[in-house]
Amino acid sequence: MHEFLAQLINGISLGGIYALIALGYTMVYGIIGLINFAHGDVYTLGSFFALTILTALGVSGELHGVALVVDVAIALIGAALLCGIAGVLIERLAYRRLRNAPRLAPLITAIGVSFILENVMQIWKGPSPVPFPAVVPNPSVMIAGVAVGAQQMLVVGLAVVMMVALQLFIHNTRLGRAMRATAQDRDAAQLMGININKTIMLTFLIGSALAGVAGFVSGVYYQSTWFFNGFGAGLKAFTAAVLGGIGNIGGAMLGGFLIGIIESFATWKFGGQWSNVTVFAILILVLVFRPSGLLGEAVFDRA
Amino acid sequence: MIYAYFLIAIAVVIGAQRLPDLRAKRVLFLLLGAALLCAPIFDRNDATFNVLADAGIFVLLALGLNIVVGFAGLLDLGYAAFFAIGAYTYAMMASPQFNLHLPFWLLLFLAAAFAALFGIILGAPTLRLRGDYLAIVTLGFGEIVPQIFQNLTKYTGGPNGIGALDFPSFFGRSFGQGTIPYYYVVLALIALAVFFAYNLRDSRLGRAWMAIREDELAARHMGINTTAVKLAAFALGASFSGLAGVVFAAKLSLVSPDLFQFQVSVLIVSMLVLGGMGNIPGVVVGALVLVLVNNVVLPQANTIAATAGLHVDFGNYHFFIYGAILVAIMLFKPEGLLPSRQRKEELHHAAT
Amino acid sequence: MRISAAVAIIALSACSGANNASTAKNTTTTTTTAVTAAPSPAPAGRVVKIGIDLPLSGGDASVGISTEQGALLAIAQMQKSVPRGYTLQGEALDDSVQGVHNPEQGVSNVRSFISDSAVLAVVGPYNSNVARAEIPVTNAAGMAQIGPSVVADNLTIGPDAQQLRRANPSLNTFFRVCTTDSRQGSALAQFARSLGFKHAYIIDDNETYGLDLADRFEKDFTADGGTVLARDHLAKNTQDFKSLLLKVLAAKPDIVFFGGVTSTGGGLIRKQMFSVGLGKTAYMGGDGLADLATVAAAQADGSYYTLAAPDATRLPSAQAFVKAYRAKYNSDIGPYSANAYAAAQVAADAIIRAIGKSGAVPSRAAVVARVASTKLDTPIGPISFDKYGDVTNPVLSLYGFKNGQPYFIRQIQLKL
Repeated sequence: MHEFLAQLINGISLGGIYALIALGYTMVYGIIGLINFAHGDVYTLGSFFALTILTALGVSGELHGVALVVDVAIALIGAALLCGIAGVLIERLAYRRLRNAPRLAPLITAIGVSFILENVMQIWKGPSPVPFPAVVPNPSVMIAGVAVGAQQMLVVGLAVVMMVALQLFIHNTRLGRAMRATAQDRDAAQLMGININKTIMLTFLIGSALAGVAGFVSGVYYQSTWFFNGFGAGLKAFTAAVLGGIGNIGGAMLGGFLIGIIESFATWKFGGQWSNVTVFAILILVLVFRPSGLLGEAVFDRA
Repeated sequence: MIYAYFLIAIAVVIGAQRLPDLRAKRVLFLLLGAALLCAPIFDRNDATFNVLADAGIFVLLALGLNIVVGFAGLLDLGYAAFFAIGAYTYAMMASPQFNLHLPFWLLLFLAAAFAALFGIILGAPTLRLRGDYLAIVTLGFGEIVPQIFQNLTKYTGGPNGIGALDFPSFFGRSFGQGTIPYYYVVLALIALAVFFAYNLRDSRLGRAWMAIREDELAARHMGINTTAVKLAAFALGASFSGLAGVVFAAKLSLVSPDLFQFQVSVLIVSMLVLGGMGNIPGVVVGALVLVLVNNVVLPQANTIAATAGLHVDFGNYHFFIYGAILVAIMLFKPEGLLPSRQRKEELHHAAT
Repeated sequence: MRISAAVAIIALSACSGANNASTAKNTTTTTTTAVTAAPSPAPAGRVVKIGIDLPLSGGDASVGISTEQGALLAIAQMQKSVPRGYTLQGEALDDSVQGVHNPEQGVSNVRSFISDSAVLAVVGPYNSNVARAEIPVTNAAGMAQIGPSVVADNLTIGPDAQQLRRANPSLNTFFRVCTTDSRQGSALAQFARSLGFKHAYIIDDNETYGLDLADRFEKDFTADGGTVLARDHLAKNTQDFKSLLLKVLAAKPDIVFFGGVTSTGGGLIRKQMFSVGLGKTAYMGGDGLADLATVAAAQADGSYYTLAAPDATRLPSAQAFVKAYRAKYNSDIGPYSANAYAAAQVAADAIIRAIGKSGAVPSRAAVVARVASTKLDTPIGPISFDKYGDVTNPVLSLYGFKNGQPYFIRQIQLKL
């Protein structure tokens, strides 16, 4: 029971990171139907930005009190903002021209952008894993006999807060309504006077900023980052988005947590080498029996 | 030198596409075939034919995936799994691993059948899914298969893979370490595959695929059994991949899980999109271009730069260059280098 | 019909073009030999090359590039020992395709080295399964190949290795400057036991090097009276090893053994041991963990690794190498930079000796023979080869970490 809880908590924390990345996938897919393969690399980019900001601030170890709040806020917001800008630039330069092209053309472009980003990061910070300062102290609380670290709570807390904020934004603001309208029918939305370019830009801005948040959080949580991390994390996050029902914000969240938990339990019960096999096998089964994903009723309905 | 082969082959295929006259086209292809057949008489460089045979294997893979993605419009992101199944079939049945030494030619058929079988097993429950979900299911399958080969160490040699595979033989003469025999096998298989692909495209089945690709709902109402038709595309596409896997394994005399990662599936999809999905010459060109870039130009980027008097280390920039090429081609020719006439019309139609 | 005639001409010129190229190549070689008779001081005179085949892009770049740089540094430094009128060049080809090391691309690279008559030896590859694909090809061509890092036993010894030499069973062309898995694994087991560890939890990265090393450690550790609590493998493409480490925590080992290299999870596992409460448990691995501190910094303390050489701090060549590497590339050496340096040094030394007093361009067979008779001091210790191509050096050193810096503990002499 004790180990079960420990694995569950670990899985939820891991899932929080997948969930944050999955939000970006699901939004972009919901709006323009593109599997944005470069999104995982934007996540890594986020951790690199955060690392650079922290280094510039002179942070190399644990922070406390006011410095903790201020520096973490600067790094977090900075990474999110820079990633958001990167996402907008990618959309503008690589995807916009292809909006009316055959469906798979932007997919290949996305793969190309992913390679470019990976290479740029490799040259920027070197080909080996890079240490990330342990900024956030990690005192733990005992919950039912299992130690839950502050960093784990940070990961999960941020993921949940981001999702709620995103839901509120999409359902209660003009811009959010424009996004939903664009997702449902781009042409009709345009006729209703919605600026499509702006809306898509906004989608990329928010999605990439969330990946930036995920990048920062993963840096704090794992205390290391690597230019190639985005490949694996992106693949699983996309899987999470599909599992939850692509286009659906709550679904991406649920999918992310589930993938994290499945991965954790599979490692525990079947051994690490079977964890990916288990994740993907469950994914296939879910899709066979529930083709629209777990939360099929999509906010961004494209069916 | 190797560039000449690639560039001429690409030029001939592109040139042929522009010819309006069907007979001239055929003559052109026959001449290309004859030139390729006679090449080893004049040039006995193993390295060249090694790369050409590799290119041929990718042409085969691209032709196979084209049936699934290009003809039937089903996005398959795990095609490398069938390639792996073909390769491991040869490795397990023609090596010291289980002391089975079945002949290469028999295994070509067996592996094709085997891969098709797996295509059906995967396809049967999943082909009713909407396109995007199918993409993810195949992606998952593509992740699982090499991982299983890696984990079942007892049977598959684990991450080490299986080595020292039997050399194929032709009427008692072993292929040995040379690459030219494999080159001929690949040429023959490509000829067959192209013939087969054209016939399929123009068959009843081919027209059904195209109907599904354009509008599945309408196709169903026209009385097409969409599931069966899609399943056929999946199985046939997989069987091409199985064939390619056997030749690949025999030529390398080794299989290991890292040869069949997700990146390989992505590479083959890129070949299709780049060349022009659904169009057979386009797909061939796409495969040739990417093999040229990936297997010839990039590994030798430093040497090429050095001969041009540039002493830059490109080793660190492969991914960048490759990515930039993909992006550039897509931005300027989103429909691919050689789109089929039908596709062009569809696009035109969609745009208006 | 006019068009098809034009194509026929293209096709024919393709064939004859190919023919011309090969004759052209022969001509170059003959000219070179002709020049031998009357030595000229032309700097570009005779170029001899060492081919380098390593994974240089994608995830494998994390180890491949520093390995390549080690080899290139050796080639640059050996330049001064090359006989007058010769230029020694290194030519590096990438064996990863789309970011994954690829045996097929390795073979393709090696074949292109073979077709270039100036290439007299090959350094590489990095991965054991790439080596398994390449060895039959270099064996058939009689080209010397020196591996910096491939450790799988069955590349040199046993029936599998004989299969690799099918084309030329009596000729061994493959050599390696690193030790084998079995030697290193059994030394590690002895070290672990002598440090007083009894209960080991073994993890490997599910790659050839890591898996084989862990297998051997498991066998010998048990034979030496230790207990192996459990054995686990890592998944690809993940950053999270905490769930695995929670299992380890529950098993209560006094040492965690890792088969693999820092970048395939070795570094992250050490760091994450601290976050699940295993920070005080010892951690051990092979030479793949030599650069552990680059990821784990001070958290590397309490970890151990081996190198298949006498203590490097006592070898002046090692210090000089580390310094020169830093000066040239402005970065620290990677886990196999020194091995690659040694491998390229062996190749260059063999070529130089094969040129010898005669001054003629040596044959590849002559280079293979000189590699086999190598006796050379390198940054990783003195190197000579047995008849299988393995190093004869039986010394392995144990290192630990203090304040994020490695320190020498002691060495062991294996009975071979």
